Amino acid sequence: MDAAKKPVTVIINGRRCRADAGERILSVAIREKIAIPHLCYEASLDPYGACRLCLVEVIKRGKNEMTTSCTLWATEGLDVVTDTPDIVKHRNILFELYLAQAPKSEIIKKMAAQYGVTKTRFFKKVNPADPLGNACILCGLCVRVCDEIMGAGAITFVNRGPYTVVNTPFSEVTRDCLGCGACAKVCPTGAIRIDDLEGERVMTSWSGTRVPLVQCRACGRFFAPQALAAKTLARLTPALAGDVAALCPECRGQQIAEREIRAKTGGAGNHA
Amino acid sequence: MKIKSKSDLAARRRIGAAKITPGTPRIAVGLATCGAAVGGDRIYERLHEIIQTGNLDILLTKVGCIGYCKEEPLVNITIPGKPLVILHRVNEADADTIIRAVLAGDVLDDKALCRIPAWDHVTGHTQQYGTGFDRIPLYADVPFFRHQKKVILRNAGLINPEDIDEYIAVGGYQAAFQALTGMTPEAVIDEVEKSGLRGRGGAGFPTGLKWRITRDAQADKKYIICNADEGDPGAYMNRNEMESDPHMLIEGMIIGAYAMGVDEGLIYIRAEYPLAIQRLKHAIREAREAGLLGKNIFGTTFCFDIEIAIGAGAFVCGESTALVASIEGKTGRPHPRPPRLTDIGGGLWGKPTDLNNVETWCNVPVIIKNGSGWYAQIGAHGNTGTKVFSLVGKVDRVGLVEVPLGTSLSTIVFDIGNGGAAQKKVKAVQTGGPSGGCIPVRLFDTPMDYESLNNAGSIMGSGGIVVMDEETNMVDIARYFINFATGESCGKCVPCREGLKHTLLLLNKILAGKGTKADLETLAILVDTIQATSLCGLGQTAPNPVLTTLAYFRDEYDALVRS
Ligand SMILES: Cc1cc2nc3c(=O)[nH]c(=O)nc-3n(C[C@H](O)[C@H](O)[C@H](O)COP(=O)(O)O)c2cc1C
Ligand code: SF4
Ligand code: FES
Repeated sequence: MDAAKKPVTVIINGRRCRADAGERILSVAIREKIAIPHLCYEASLDPYGACRLCLVEVIKRGKNEMTTSCTLWATEGLDVVTDTPDIVKHRNILFELYLAQAPKSEIIKKMAAQYGVTKTRFFKKVNPADPLGNACILCGLCVRVCDEIMGAGAITFVNRGPYTVVNTPFSEVTRDCLGCGACAKVCPTGAIRIDDLEGERVMTSWSGTRVPLVQCRACGRFFAPQALAAKTLARLTPALAGDVAALCPECRGQQIAEREIRAKTGGAGNHA
Repeated sequence: MKIKSKSDLAARRRIGAAKITPGTPRIAVGLATCGAAVGGDRIYERLHEIIQTGNLDILLTKVGCIGYCKEEPLVNITIPGKPLVILHRVNEADADTIIRAVLAGDVLDDKALCRIPAWDHVTGHTQQYGTGFDRIPLYADVPFFRHQKKVILRNAGLINPEDIDEYIAVGGYQAAFQALTGMTPEAVIDEVEKSGLRGRGGAGFPTGLKWRITRDAQADKKYIICNADEGDPGAYMNRNEMESDPHMLIEGMIIGAYAMGVDEGLIYIRAEYPLAIQRLKHAIREAREAGLLGKNIFGTTFCFDIEIAIGAGAFVCGESTALVASIEGKTGRPHPRPPRLTDIGGGLWGKPTDLNNVETWCNVPVIIKNGSGWYAQIGAHGNTGTKVFSLVGKVDRVGLVEVPLGTSLSTIVFDIGNGGAAQKKVKAVQTGGPSGGCIPVRLFDTPMDYESLNNAGSIMGSGGIVVMDEETNMVDIARYFINFATGESCGKCVPCREGLKHTLLLLNKILAGKGTKADLETLAILVDTIQATSLCGLGQTAPNPVLTTLAYFRDEYDALVRS
């Protein structure tokens, strides 16, 4: 929407910041280097509001109202503050809950410690068989990226309430997984385990789903998952696809470079 | 036959009237779910058998529930010229004697609960039954009924919910006719706004305002939805409204759709309500046949139809954004607002959508029929109209109670409910279900209105009132509700999913006698954070049972923990 792109000024901790109308306050804060902890935010996805860490207070007619900054839209003159005593109080409890939920996540421990929380009063759940290594905080980023960005929908939330976990449907090997690894890339706690074996990628956290890899015809190295490669190739023009298919990124770069050099120096081109 | 004019409507009224007071005796069995559960079905079958085999000149029919659940099964007897008599605690074996008495123009004294010589259906129609049977108490003298005011339950238990003619006979669909043929949509919204009607789904949002926002939203398509998810333990008023008088809901939705310029409506109802679903489906079919749903309603240019969407009965799916997700076939998880349902992009299929509770819709026909001024006089300032409460738990007279908003808790629990069951002392009530709080007996002069309940730490919610007596352990009550909320949490946000789980663990520990003073402190801090930081209303209100029991019954916690 064009109207939403209108520039506005918002105030964060007394500082005037430029923003696009409709932009989320968390995104403005990140750009302005104002620290607000967050675990479930990703710029390319819809606001989700699940981790509840990105709390700010909106000052409205002298009254403060607490809300999450990743779901708060920038409007002209919007006035917010971070790290108020109330926010700190509640955020510390949330960190304690995280420490109990994901006791094995070093990232969570580090993040909580940054805010002075090193212990939890709550019962720590440790499940030795947890495919996510007791590090998942159910932020949903992996599920959303897999569905909304990759269009694969290979993983999902299983169960409800305190029994919720992320896994493949029925915790079974899935054919929908492209093996792209976007889930592991967005995971804020490093919970997702993927192992590349010879010729195969094993999605260890996702019920051990196996995806075959493409082998580079030049150097013999295994590089991209086949399903992902097929999906990507389908979008390219045949001329380009020829270059891309079955060549790992390094060899591809090298071959193209060589071709260019030959063309410039009058040598006979491979493809010309 | 489609109803297109006042005279068509009048003709249907006459057909219906002849069913309510036929020239012959009429026996009507209370057959909402509550009546069926205690054997009403079998009584109906037995009566049917006797009438069939004897080829008797008696009209046997079904009605909904008048609300006095304690006294069920209820059977109404209408003998021409005589008052309607409600028989109570009827069982199968009474069928023969009932019929014998009826054939003799009489009713069984020992089964008679009360008589109704005339009944105001609040639609300008007063049903005259007749005189006589003076030895039987009047309806208005029965303590359970005396303090009630029936506006929403105006027809419940008196008309056959499976017959549109009877609804029309008692003044039904007149308000819709009046609105569609004689009022502009703006005038309808004005009237609803001036009535002061607030949403009966829990939060008390002004209905007229929500309608205006929906009407003003610029979009090619809009929806209205009726929220019939009713998930609070102990609340069943919406079920009874749909089972006893489904056309009242449909009429309210027709008027609302006209006011908001909407041509498609949905009723989102839980699968656990099979009878309500069946009666609604039947009523929708009847309304379509009568030209009250579908194209060119009442022969006007206005078109509107209703579909039923069946949910799996998750408590959280009563929350507006989760409800819409559920209808769209997605997981029933709330999302942050804005966008609100009424916003573009926020409602069903991204279209502006008005969501109202069953009972909210049910208020609409009488507001239009009798005017906002009439309606605004009922109840208290800022809290107009009546509310149906389900009075359950350890109370003597269990049932559905309809009173003006602002009626005190003590009137409801003591005057209407007659205090504790088995003469035990009442200690507290829980209002508003798992999202509400416990109110101790010393605060029973609290008026039942949205603000006073909030001030007491509770909420109106859908209107459940669960009574606790002296033998109830309040910490256990808190655990019951936290256990419910934990199981119903969708699992999306941390304070609700993890926080409630740990609240439950702490309460279990305390109840097992293993808790410490420090645990009590942790409990208090934790529920404070859950309340302040949860994503949706479920988590924000789920701590209320703990917060209120901590505030009012701290000694019961202290007695359980080691220092
Ligand atoms: C967890 C949760 C459960 C709810 N359940 C119901 C319900 O069962 N029925 C209902 O009408 N409203 C329920 N609500 C309130 C709805 O979100 C919404 O406010 C209401 O349906 C609006 O209608 P009203 O304005 O007529 O009250 C619930 C809210 C929450 C947060
Ligand atoms: S695995 Fe990682 S990305 Fe996925 S829900 Fe858990 S914490 Fe979030
Ligand atoms: S980043 Fe805002 S709630 Fe998670």
